[in-house]
Amino acid sequence: MRKLAFFIPFVLFIALSVFLFSGLFSNPMERESSVINQPLPAFALPDLQQPEKIWTPDSVKGKPYLLNVWGTWCVTCNAELAYLTELREQGVMIVGLYYQQPVDAAFGEVFNLSALQQEVALKLEQQGNPYQWNILDKDRTLIFDLGVTGAPETFLIDAQGIIRYHHIGDINPQVWQQKLAAAYQSLQE
Amino acid sequence: MKYFIFSLLLITAAAQGTQALIEFKSPEQQALFKELTHELRCPKCQNQNIADSNAVVAVDMRAKTLELVQQGQNKEQVLDYMKSRYGDFVHYQPPLNKFTLILWLLPALMVCGLIVLLLVRRRAERSLVLPESSEKTQPQPLEQQLDQLIEQYRRKS
Repeated sequence: MRKLAFFIPFVLFIALSVFLFSGLFSNPMERESSVINQPLPAFALPDLQQPEKIWTPDSVKGKPYLLNVWGTWCVTCNAELAYLTELREQGVMIVGLYYQQPVDAAFGEVFNLSALQQEVALKLEQQGNPYQWNILDKDRTLIFDLGVTGAPETFLIDAQGIIRYHHIGDINPQVWQQKLAAAYQSLQE
Repeated sequence: MKYFIFSLLLITAAAQGTQALIEFKSPEQQALFKELTHELRCPKCQNQNIADSNAVVAVDMRAKTLELVQQGQNKEQVLDYMKSRYGDFVHYQPPLNKFTLILWLLPALMVCGLIVLLLVRRRAERSLVLPESSEKTQPQPLEQQLDQLIEQYRRKS
């Protein structure tokens, strides 16, 4: 009994060390998404390049696809464009959800659609265009309903329009292989 | 009151600009808005509430909170609205469920453990003391024992 008591501080110390050590490698941005296994929230948003065209959750049913939240202002999004384009060439369907930052009226900013269209077209021409089309979420309503915290984020949507995966951060070969490829393949069948 | 409205102006004006001064229908709504923006956590910035943060998502959450409060929704409804999108993470008071149970149980367990430890120790002490006092033989006075020991060592040396 006495000898056992002698080891208690030692065991506690080891347990604390293991706990803190594992904390070094955990990602504080990683957490459960609350939209998994739920249908896409209702929306009716215009196409970025052809605003007269309105997209709804029903427009894309029948095939699994990636819904990629991005913006030209977002550096990490630009970095993933090339790899996403590669994925598109491999036959992955990717739809862009354009994350428009709030315009600051106090600084005389106004939302200029044609300037944005040109900017996006130029960016996609330079970096590669992974998107079948882009949905413009000017007031970030769908982005809010999807629980998006920033850009880039990517959702995997199945053929019935159910959200299957929510990835926060960029998509690179490693992330694709480890997290999304298997889920995407299983939805294909 | 003036100061509070002014401070709200400072918080939101920097980020939104369009929303110069927030007008509330009642002081209750104003208090609720203040409470909610202090209890809701910015999902992007790890450890700031949405009143404190100017991340886009915090600006949007603030605007949504204001909209819902002005619609007359109560605290529970607004919290549920946010949680259904951003998860339990978004509220600074985590609910009691299987993942957070340990937060509530651990302090209680530690107190119980301490009490048990104290009881065990006390019993052990008592069991050490009792046998000695039960012996009827008078122990030699300490002085005598010491003298004897000193004598022994003197002879040896």
